[in-house]
Amino acid sequence: NAQSKTIGGNVTESSGGEPVVGASVLLKGTTRGTVTNMDGNFQLEVDGPESVLVFSYIGFQTLEIQVGNQNVINVSMEYSSEELSEVVVTALGVERETKALGYSVQAVDGDRFTEARETNVINSLSGRVAGVQITNSSSGVGGSARVTIRGESSLNINANQPLFVVDGVPISNSIIGSSGSGNQEVDYGNAAGEINPDDIASVSVLKGPAAAALYGSRAANGAILITTKTGRTKRGLGITINSNTTFDTPLRLPKWQDKYGQGNNGLFSFVDGAGGGLADGVDESWGPQMDQGQLIPQFDSPRDVAGYRGGDLNAPEGSTIQPTPWVSQRDNINDFFQTGVTLSNNVAIAAGSEKSNFRFSWTNLDQKGTIPNTDLKRNTLAFNGMTQITDRLTINTAVNYQRTSSGNRPSISYGTESLMYLWIWYGRQINTKSLRDYWMRGMEGRQQFNYNYNYHDNPYFNVYENTNGQNKDRVFGNVMANYQFTDNLSLMVRTGIDFFNDLRDRKRAFSTMRFPRGSYREDAVFFSERNTDFLLTYSETSKEKFSYTFSLGGNQMIQENRYTQTMAPQLLIPEIYNFTNTAVNLQVNHMVSEKRINSLYGFGQMSYNNILFLDITGRNDWSSTLPINGNSYFYPSATLSGIVSDMISLPEAISFFKLRAAYAEVGNDTDPYSLTNVFNPGIAWGSVQTKSESNRLANAELKPERTGSLEFGTDIRFLKGRLGLDFTYYDNRTRNQIIPIELDIATGYASRIINAGEIQNYGMEIIVNGSPIQRANGLIWNVSANFTRNRSRVLELTEGLDTYSMVGRNGATIQARIGERMGNIYGRGFERVSDPNSEYYGQIIHNTTGTPLTATTLVKQGNYNPDWMLGIQNNFNYKRLTFGFLFDIRYGGIVVSRTKTIGSTSGQLEETLLGRENGYDLSVEGNGIISPGVIRTSDGSFIPNTIKISSRDWHNRYYERSNVEAAMYDASFIKLREVTIGYNLPGGALQKLPFQEARLSLVARNLALWTENPHFDPETMSMSGATLIPGVEDMAFPSTRSIGINLNLKF
Amino acid sequence: DKDFEEINQNPNSPETVSSALLLPNVIRSAANEIVGKSWGIGNVVVQYTAKIQFTNEDRYNWGPEGNPYSVFYNALRDVNNMINISGERGQNNYVGAAKVMKSLMYAFMTDAYGDLPYTEATKAKEGVNYPKFDRQEVIYQGILAELAEANQLLGSSSENLEGDILFQGDVMKWRKLANSLRLRALMRLSDRIDPSAAMQAIVSDPVNHPIIGSNADNAALQYLQDVPNQHYLYTTRSGSFDEYRLSTTMEGVLKAYNDPRLYAYAQPTNDSGAGILGDPDDYAGVPNGLADENAYGYSPSGDPNKGGSNYISRVGLLFSCLTCSEHASPVGFQTMLISYSEVQFILAEARERGFISVGDASVYYQNGIRASFNYYESRLRIANLNTLADVIQPGEAYFSQSQVVYEGSQEEKLQKIGMQKWLALFFNGLEGWYDWRRTGIPAIQPGPAAFIATVPVRFMYPTGVQALNRDNYQAAVSVQGEDRITTRVWWDVE
Repeated sequence: NAQSKTIGGNVTESSGGEPVVGASVLLKGTTRGTVTNMDGNFQLEVDGPESVLVFSYIGFQTLEIQVGNQNVINVSMEYSSEELSEVVVTALGVERETKALGYSVQAVDGDRFTEARETNVINSLSGRVAGVQITNSSSGVGGSARVTIRGESSLNINANQPLFVVDGVPISNSIIGSSGSGNQEVDYGNAAGEINPDDIASVSVLKGPAAAALYGSRAANGAILITTKTGRTKRGLGITINSNTTFDTPLRLPKWQDKYGQGNNGLFSFVDGAGGGLADGVDESWGPQMDQGQLIPQFDSPRDVAGYRGGDLNAPEGSTIQPTPWVSQRDNINDFFQTGVTLSNNVAIAAGSEKSNFRFSWTNLDQKGTIPNTDLKRNTLAFNGMTQITDRLTINTAVNYQRTSSGNRPSISYGTESLMYLWIWYGRQINTKSLRDYWMRGMEGRQQFNYNYNYHDNPYFNVYENTNGQNKDRVFGNVMANYQFTDNLSLMVRTGIDFFNDLRDRKRAFSTMRFPRGSYREDAVFFSERNTDFLLTYSETSKEKFSYTFSLGGNQMIQENRYTQTMAPQLLIPEIYNFTNTAVNLQVNHMVSEKRINSLYGFGQMSYNNILFLDITGRNDWSSTLPINGNSYFYPSATLSGIVSDMISLPEAISFFKLRAAYAEVGNDTDPYSLTNVFNPGIAWGSVQTKSESNRLANAELKPERTGSLEFGTDIRFLKGRLGLDFTYYDNRTRNQIIPIELDIATGYASRIINAGEIQNYGMEIIVNGSPIQRANGLIWNVSANFTRNRSRVLELTEGLDTYSMVGRNGATIQARIGERMGNIYGRGFERVSDPNSEYYGQIIHNTTGTPLTATTLVKQGNYNPDWMLGIQNNFNYKRLTFGFLFDIRYGGIVVSRTKTIGSTSGQLEETLLGRENGYDLSVEGNGIISPGVIRTSDGSFIPNTIKISSRDWHNRYYERSNVEAAMYDASFIKLREVTIGYNLPGGALQKLPFQEARLSLVARNLALWTENPHFDPETMSMSGATLIPGVEDMAFPSTRSIGINLNLKF
Repeated sequence: DKDFEEINQNPNSPETVSSALLLPNVIRSAANEIVGKSWGIGNVVVQYTAKIQFTNEDRYNWGPEGNPYSVFYNALRDVNNMINISGERGQNNYVGAAKVMKSLMYAFMTDAYGDLPYTEATKAKEGVNYPKFDRQEVIYQGILAELAEANQLLGSSSENLEGDILFQGDVMKWRKLANSLRLRALMRLSDRIDPSAAMQAIVSDPVNHPIIGSNADNAALQYLQDVPNQHYLYTTRSGSFDEYRLSTTMEGVLKAYNDPRLYAYAQPTNDSGAGILGDPDDYAGVPNGLADENAYGYSPSGDPNKGGSNYISRVGLLFSCLTCSEHASPVGFQTMLISYSEVQFILAEARERGFISVGDASVYYQNGIRASFNYYESRLRIANLNTLADVIQPGEAYFSQSQVVYEGSQEEKLQKIGMQKWLALFFNGLEGWYDWRRTGIPAIQPGPAAFIATVPVRFMYPTGVQALNRDNYQAAVSVQGEDRITTRVWWDVE
């Protein structure tokens, strides 16, 4: 173009004249554009005097300026009093102005995921979005995160998570369980957590069915839409490098006692670690007092035959163990953990021209866990390209390839494969370093060396020999074509896929407690989901008063799952992990499934005078999982919003006032093969094969589930936008839920799949944004707070049933009972005096020997959901310096802890010093416990308890494993979730360097925690199969605090 | 939309199978549960063994018992399927075997819990989601009727019993089991219902009512060499195996009787240094029902410096786990459902009390004792524990000693039968406990740290039942008595 020329200029903010950094400068009507640099300067090639530049930046009013004759355009941007230009991605990837939306959507900018990052990217949403609750699983590197939006609407505890969508195409968020065949659980993470933070441009959270109605079935719990970065705003070539290094340490480990070592009743002496010595089979710390100068034979004491340790049980017969000092090892557990290092490096190249653009990015994540020999590596290649083939036809493509691999992910839950299990039974005198050399001398590869041969595996043996590896290849992406028939009519056709192959291998060495002859297992997991859709859109936006858009679309989803588990349960030769090395018949488990949903939908958006907006949608699904004569279901939604501030005149302080309302229905189907009962394979008896009918009774007459949702909200801006308030109230009801409702097994079946239940969730979300300080000197303080309060009620179950047990662990059962909240935890508690007239009312009852009693009935102990959540983000900007921190607060709720229960009985936790201040002799002051409460005498009357029992006996009975009340903590916490301090290098410095922009930040995640319990992070959950169980801590690994640096360079 | 229908056809598993594929799992589930209960509670409550760690069972700190309820009803679904599938095909052998397993499980369960869903149980497919509880009397009527029916059915058709991991398709052994279980049941109810006519009808007609006639007929599940079908304790951790030790009650009786089963049931203490076989002095038990530290630190000699696990005998090598001992065998130990020995003791008691007029009580009694010794000798040999097998048979002096010889008043004789039966029922499910509740033999004293003053006589119902079948549960409790471990079941007459 002969008239084309390059325009330069500078963008400042109007009040103080400070440069606006990162403001978007776009050539109107094209995809060509740039952003302002650190000094607010920009350069852009324009087509000629007719060209119009559009300047925009979040928080400022968008400005359009015609180029004319100017070569330099300096603009001064006004802070926006309205959210006019805020655009969010909504269902089906449609970008909409938030102003026009009748429901609440919250967007999170991509930068939030990259600077202070999480290996599971979902965790980065914590505290940032009202109505969204994220729970970490604390199960090692890249463990699962559980997301719920606006409470839990399904009685199926696995069906309460939102749908994840990348670039308009749904992706898997599956969790594939891995226990069974004698193995404990390993948390391989939830699939959505693998998305690479560096490729995320923005995340939109669609919170309710109204927002997500067009996604239908799977978005009844909301949707999280992720838009990946493109080369769209790039003109010419741009290279970005981001390098992030963090150091991870355990955030909170249990507080151990450091007075008494291993043993029983003050006694210990090692002979064989299996009861052969003095209490040496006891894996509890009720032994001799440490640090008293006492010498005791121990597993790491030398033997009188050189080269052999106490625990080398293959030592020559007759050799004796030389006693060594019995001393406390304060950090014997804490020091086992190492500083984890997470390196994440990204290179992105983006280029663009008028007709096409692309972005290519490579990210390498290399994480070394805080648990030795655990790791996670992930390489992500992302390509996003767009080309305008003709004026009417545009092709977009986005492809992501990921390879995730790990040499070892830790085993979790309660049992010998888990390290946390070991620690809770450990001896406080054990020098863990002595276990590092973990083979018995001369029996390398065949027999581990340990402090105990009764119950446990050596921790180093566990992590170095018994590994849970993984290699996963995943591709997700889509190809999309847009054809513009006329200015008003367009057609989009798209096909997208998410598929992965995940091979998980487990090695178990000879002499492992649970696998004395070793074992080898591989789980091959295949998943594929294909979505093909079209959307025909007619829009009329040029009219003065009315504008409207109508669309008609369709989607076909095909989902396939394959799972093959092969196990050599016993090996022939040690250290050969190959199925040909099996000593016995291989065990095989094999499952495939397929599901399809066809859909047609239409929607219309109408606006009047740009102040009233009405959206209606309708969708019909046909699902293969429902009965053939009832597999079609339709659901509508309607939303309305009005800009009150544009209709009537309001006091000057109110600069913007919008009201919105929405109603939506969503239908849902179920899992494949829920209609007929089958006979499942059982483990063969030698060569005799066996089957057993599924104990879940299928139902040939299932109907689709329905969720109805009502939502009201308002968005008010004060003081020219310096203060904003967004308030939403919602009421969702899910009915006809397809759930396996429990049966008394005496019916022959453990559950039957039926349509049942009605659950109500109602609550409020408040978002406050403010800019308390906007100084001319460039000092800016922005604060935003998200408040969430959700309540739920079980309105209905099914005839004859008023309680539904959703899931349980360790005596804690999560039950839905009519009239109660979802998430209530039931369990046994102490037996207490129940007569309100008794002077002992409420006191704990003891038996006649002074031992506290556990009641046999289930009592509500609490609820795992917080009463409310609050996230507060503060950002300070001063010239080139930024400082931000995020507090994440959850108030209320309980967590049931196995660490507490077991650590109390095993004498490990600090508080078990109670009743043994001076040893174990009950006649000595300070020893023994008179348990507070009353004794029930033989005639049933109560007298105060005055009987002293030993500390160990008391702890064992007070912290009975089935006693949930004794194991409970308040789960409230305040976390300093994130801190970032960033510095943008000055332009002067950059001139000597090859890059245009450089930003260096110090970053930290989970820096500090305030909570009631001293032993663990209450933000945790446990896992059973593929089910995440909130509210239950089951030997959780410590969550991590990470501190590091992030360097971002743009060339 | 035919396509969708095809897509939703489960490609992994069939909608129907033959009974041959169901039977193995039914037998295995039932047997594993029975032996598990035997190890966990049965051996402890009748004081064959005592716990030195995690003492709840031994101190009667029992909560609701999820099993056998859950495991058995789960297996009864497939028993039902067998009866339906094979019933339609005229496969009487399978139907008979299914009914034997059904009766075996119901008897075991009702003896443990009392009243249970029976006539309305396992009928969710027919829409019965909240089955009523039947009185134990009704359940036992059903058990006796179905066992009699099974005896008729078995052998009345010609199909081979495949998948029969208990008797390898020997239909006659199933009949013997059916009739022997009837004898056991009739004796169980004998304080409520006179068993004479029914028992006499069985023993007087061995052609039509064959019963277990030798150890070769024992209903015992023989385990396999390979994982995961080795005997119940074989793959347990040594620490878990070591929590259960010889009880002083059992020790006292074995030693007082000079009973060589001491060498099979227990191991010499570590401290004795005797290896796998010692003198009686090398074996020592621990009292039942001690508090945790006392249990673990117990000193048989009274010398506090000689206390603890080293000084207490472990349970016998035959039962041992792989990591517990180099002598452990995966196949030596069987799960015993009912043995020849037990049947002989039932007949001895029946003859002594005049329920039957066939045979001689002292012969039955002697047979019962010898069968037990023979059984253990053969098992020890199979486990390659020949050193122990060689000493397991008692001399004739054993039988002539005053506490064993079949002499004295009827009461004394019944006492002797009871003692020998108790000795032989070690590790036989919960049979030792059930029989003790009926006979009170031997005398069992709760330990010093017991939570209640009497020995439990019942399991509490599982927790889930209260929520999932509450109305019927409450009705059952109101008829039977409070849902406590001290509430007697119907046949348990005070």
